Parts: sequence; structure tokens; C-alpha cells
Amino acid sequence: MGHEYVPEIATDRDGNQHEVQGWQGDFYGGKLGFWLFMLTEIMMFGAMFLALAYYNALHPQDFLDASASLNRLLGGTNTVILLVSALTMGLGLLKMRAGDVKGAKLMIWATIILATAFLIIKGFEWRAEYNHGIFLLHDKLLPESTLPFGQKLFFGLYFSMTGLHGVHIIIGIGLMLWLLKRINAGKVTTDHHILFWNIALYWDIVHLIWVFVFPYYYMIGAGGVTGGH
Amino acid sequence: MDTKTVNYQEEKKVYYKVLVGLLLLTAVTFIQPHMFMTHSTFLAQMLIAVVKAYLIVIYYMHLKGEKLITAMVWFALALVTVFFIIVIGIDVANFQFGAESHITTAAEHSAGAADATPAAH
Repeated sequence: MGHEYVPEIATDRDGNQHEVQGWQGDFYGGKLGFWLFMLTEIMMFGAMFLALAYYNALHPQDFLDASASLNRLLGGTNTVILLVSALTMGLGLLKMRAGDVKGAKLMIWATIILATAFLIIKGFEWRAEYNHGIFLLHDKLLPESTLPFGQKLFFGLYFSMTGLHGVHIIIGIGLMLWLLKRINAGKVTTDHHILFWNIALYWDIVHLIWVFVFPYYYMIGAGGVTGGH
Repeated sequence: MDTKTVNYQEEKKVYYKVLVGLLLLTAVTFIQPHMFMTHSTFLAQMLIAVVKAYLIVIYYMHLKGEKLITAMVWFALALVTVFFIIVIGIDVANFQFGAESHITTAAEHSAGAADATPAAH
């Protein structure tokens, strides 16, 4: 379905005709609307961080012990991957605005590859945790297991939050593939790039959430004596 | 922000500068637990995260100079902060049901299982 702009004419009380501005040209409105959506994301993840902080306050030592057992090498690698992917997406948008459509598409593909690498590494990490008996409704996280209760809460939230973040990554990949399709169809251009702008914003918020997820889960127990990498 | 006029080289330079800043802060994240504020790792890590978030929001998300959207962001953050203050600062700080609550007492039956901490993997 296309979004061809069809001007609409409205007549005021004095009989003067005015062209109604279509949403296609309302760059600021499009951006503002997307920011409102992103604020709901902040509040959703904010509520999850609130639950995390609540249980952390009740079980501080268990949280440090559980954090110390996470794989910081893989978590750190994913942090750098997301960081670079935010750059490639930003450069892609910049290239599109500068008229370099081919360069912009290359940057989107680079972002997709980095996002996929993030998911693959996360998959390896979760598999290793599963093999150690740590997974939702599995082995050490079952109610009858002897794992300290605070650690069960920590890992439960860890899988929930990194899982939800992973879903956002998958959605981001889908959005980028759709963006490529729209660029190829000539619907996203140098002059009309609000879709690109908003998808780049989405990718930044995905990165931003990880900026807090990573230290809270992987780093708070890094200075402890219970192990870790 | 005017998106029609593009100073490609200038904006590209900013992107790379921010990248270097974020990479340095990520490196600081890793060395902090062994180098400084070692008894306040949580606080130090969150402070580093806030600085990283500031760089991302201002430069990558182009919030520099956006008054209305910035006000919206502050409002949303203030709402989240209010809930943090109520839940963590008031509720948890005055927690009265330690003896009855499942979320705290369950730790008792596992108290003797402190060695059950999963191995680093």
C-alpha cells in the first residue's frame, strides 16, 4: 500500500480554501510521536528495574554472588557490538540525509549483522547457563532447589529482562529489513527520511537499555570474592 | 534540529568522537571494580551508565537543542524516580514483614546452602 500524498482542501468560515497538511510532511510530529512511544519503553523497563532494585535491596549478598557467576566476557563483547551497531545505524542515517543511499543501505546491513551477532552470543550464553542448571523453570531455579532464594530472583529477572531486550533486538532487525524494502521502493528518500530517523531512534533506545542492563547484571558482583571472570 | 541541511564530515566526526567516549567508558566499567570505588561498585557502575546514556541521548538520539522532547524525557524519568523513591526509599527501608514474607523467608531454608552458588561459566 502506498503513501502517496493527496492534498486535501479545507474551507474556512470566510470561504477561503487551505491545503490540509498531510502527515507525510510533518517530520517533527512523526519524531514527537515516536519519542512518546519510547517513553513508554523507558517506563516499562523502568518498572522491571524497579523490581530488580526491590529484590536487590532485600537480598544484597545473593545478588552479588549471582552477578559474579555471569560471563562478563560474553556480556562485554555484546556491549561493544551494540555500541558499534549504534554507530553504523547513525552513520547510515547520516549518509541517507547526505544523499548517499547506497552507503546508507550498507550501514543498515552492517547493523543487521551486528544485531544478529549479538543474538548468537546471547544464545551461547543462555545455553551455557542452561547447562549449569540455571534457566527459567529448570533445575536450580525450581522452588525445591537449594540455590539461595535471592539468586533465584536475580536469575529469574535476568532471563526476563535480557529476554525482553532480545525480543527488542529481533523486532529491530525486522524493522531494519522493512526499512531496506522501503528504501528500495523509493518510499524513504533523502528528503523523506522520517522512517529511517525513527528506526535509528528505536535502535538507540535498545542500546540505551543495554547500557543499564549490562552493569546491573554483570558488573555489580565483579569486585566480589565469589568468582566470575 | 534541521535535518535538511547536512554537514556530513562534521556530523561524522561527532559520531566517531562519541564512539571513542563510549568505548573508553566501557573500558572503565571493566576496570572500576579493581581500581576505584571498590566498595561502591554498584554506585560507580550506575554513574558510568548514566554518563554513557547522556552521550547516547544527546548525540546519537539528537536531543541536543530539542526543548519539548527533552522536557518530556525529564518528566518520564521523574515519574520513574518517584516510584523508585516510594518503593525502595520508603517501602524497603521500612520493611516490616521480614519474618512472614515469602520473598525474604525463603532465603532461610537455603541459608545452609550458601555453597550452592553456581560456578562461574
